[in-house]
Amino acid sequence: MAEKQKLIEIKNLKQHFNVGHGQVIKAVDGITFDIYKGETLGLVGESGCGKSTTGRTIIGLYQATSGEVLLNGVSVHGKKSPKELKMLKRKMQMIFQDPYASLNPRMTVADIIAEGIDIHGLAKTKEERMKRVYELLETVGLNREHANRYPHEFSGGQRQRIGIARALAVEPEFIIADEPISALDVSIQAQVVNLMKRLQREKGLTYLFIAHDLSMVKYISDRIGVMYFGKMVELAEAEELYRNPIHPYTKALLSAIPLPDPETERVRRRAIYDPSQHQYKDGESLEFREITPGHFVLCSEEEYKKYKAMHS
Amino acid sequence: MKKLLEVKNLEVSFQTYGGEVQAVRGVSFHLNRGETLAIVGESGSGKSVTSQTIMRLIPTPPGRIKNGQILFDGEDLVKKTDKEMEAIRGKDIGMIFQDPMTSLNPTMKVGHQIMEVLTKHLKMDKSAAKERAIELLRLVGIPMPEKRVTQYPHEFSGGMRQRAMIAVALASNPKLLIADEPTTALDVTIQAQILELMKELQKKTNTSIIFITHDLGVVANVADRVAVMYAGKIVEMGTVDEVFYDPKHPYTWGLLASMPSLDSDDKSELAAIPGTPPDLTNPPKGDAFAPRNPYAMKIDFELEPPLFQISDTHYAATWLLHPDAPKVEPPEAVKKRLRKLSSNYPQPVIVKESE
Repeated sequence: MAEKQKLIEIKNLKQHFNVGHGQVIKAVDGITFDIYKGETLGLVGESGCGKSTTGRTIIGLYQATSGEVLLNGVSVHGKKSPKELKMLKRKMQMIFQDPYASLNPRMTVADIIAEGIDIHGLAKTKEERMKRVYELLETVGLNREHANRYPHEFSGGQRQRIGIARALAVEPEFIIADEPISALDVSIQAQVVNLMKRLQREKGLTYLFIAHDLSMVKYISDRIGVMYFGKMVELAEAEELYRNPIHPYTKALLSAIPLPDPETERVRRRAIYDPSQHQYKDGESLEFREITPGHFVLCSEEEYKKYKAMHS
Repeated sequence: MKKLLEVKNLEVSFQTYGGEVQAVRGVSFHLNRGETLAIVGESGSGKSVTSQTIMRLIPTPPGRIKNGQILFDGEDLVKKTDKEMEAIRGKDIGMIFQDPMTSLNPTMKVGHQIMEVLTKHLKMDKSAAKERAIELLRLVGIPMPEKRVTQYPHEFSGGMRQRAMIAVALASNPKLLIADEPTTALDVTIQAQILELMKELQKKTNTSIIFITHDLGVVANVADRVAVMYAGKIVEMGTVDEVFYDPKHPYTWGLLASMPSLDSDDKSELAAIPGTPPDLTNPPKGDAFAPRNPYAMKIDFELEPPLFQISDTHYAATWLLHPDAPKVEPPEAVKKRLRKLSSNYPQPVIVKESE
């Protein structure tokens, strides 16, 4: 893996929310992982496990409680001059889940897409600006007549394309896609996923793909991280994770996905995850340990030995 | 098996400023006792309108049942007055909605919402109803039902709320349960639990279920038979094996092919269905799927396809089954699923001529 270049490094990231009455919600509780240049890292887990918070903290929508996020070796968080901040925002963009709520209904599609271009001064003249907008619309499979329309005139799939065009406008290196297809119809989901894959090939983009639809995640991702209650419990190559899940939670999650195949469904046996099954002793430290090359699992020292023996 | 429900040539439309939206355009199907029928389709295909029409929940106006019959236990629901429907709704037909937060009353205790059904429909007295409510909560797998029965919906988690909804719907032992995307808002692990629960309860009570969803994985898990809807019509209907292992309609092919398979390492491009569903204010001439259909022939744009019968239980409305149609190969991902089914007729038979 030496030839792979790290684009994003996340080190012991924590995001705690103070909800009052002295209670603190540990939405993200110390996760560490890297994202390599040009890859797609999928992040899965149940609602409330902290996967969206992770994405939002990485891009700086929340102030991280502790930990570090490095983009090309430069920290993203902490005090920054406006100039540095602008530079970082150009490199990282986000695509949101709800294509209805994430586009300003009072702006035309051209203005929505060009907002980033204007802020970063990427177009010198009005003609150049519109030329970029037209190019972007065509890249995402819309056409230039759409530029002067408003978001309400589009369907969900088309809106998501506008959201993608907006993210691409500032030529980012890294895109965080937070459930980009879950609000879309099945027949439209494949269109958007195909578009994202094509753009990745053409522009060398790096994605963090957050979703709960595990079959789509497996299809689009090179590697997948599984989150459970603010912790990352397993991280491996997509194939490896589906073939040889190690952590009992991952096993339970995988066994719960219904497959479009009546015969396997008739004999489905679901594994149930009970956090007490680990029987951790007091003071036992849980760490993210590498079981087989590139396959990490959150486990205790004892479990590590057990897993290692089982998988080598 | 006896038919519990028979829907015949149902047509429902809505009057809007933009014109008349023909949401359901001639839907016919039946449901046997103790059977689960899944209705699949994308948003706007008319699957929810169909089920809400059975419950007579469509506001009229703007909605209107233009044509058709809904025979439930031999009685036509279309002709019932609102007063008569009140006696059926919630008693003989129960419904579970997609969003358990908005479909439970936030100002009423969960126990009361179950008891309401029992006192109104089954004429139970209050203390008996409360006891039964606790029993029902236990039945749907809610721990400590004695305590939960006096709690409000906001004190329940999403999965627990959906269980409570099921308890409300099942309180009166309905003959028919309509579940409109009951697990779409839930996580996969919770979804699996709810599906198991529904199947288990069905075994005990022999309730018939209409299960509306867009998730083909869920369909394969729960359904006995499947109806695929597109643009207000049923384009294909059959047993779950027939639809998954021997699909005939190109729209069903498209749905099956656009899903990545978990078992294969295939990273080639997904076979997406191009375009978007049609506007039902002006339904297109001919086959509504034709503009998105790579297999469309000239006749698809002119004449609506007739309904073909492939086996005793399998129907599809596509010109591809016509004896004069050229032989076509379904997409790669579908071909891998195909199996020879012995129940098929030697030749598809036309059961309904095109209009």
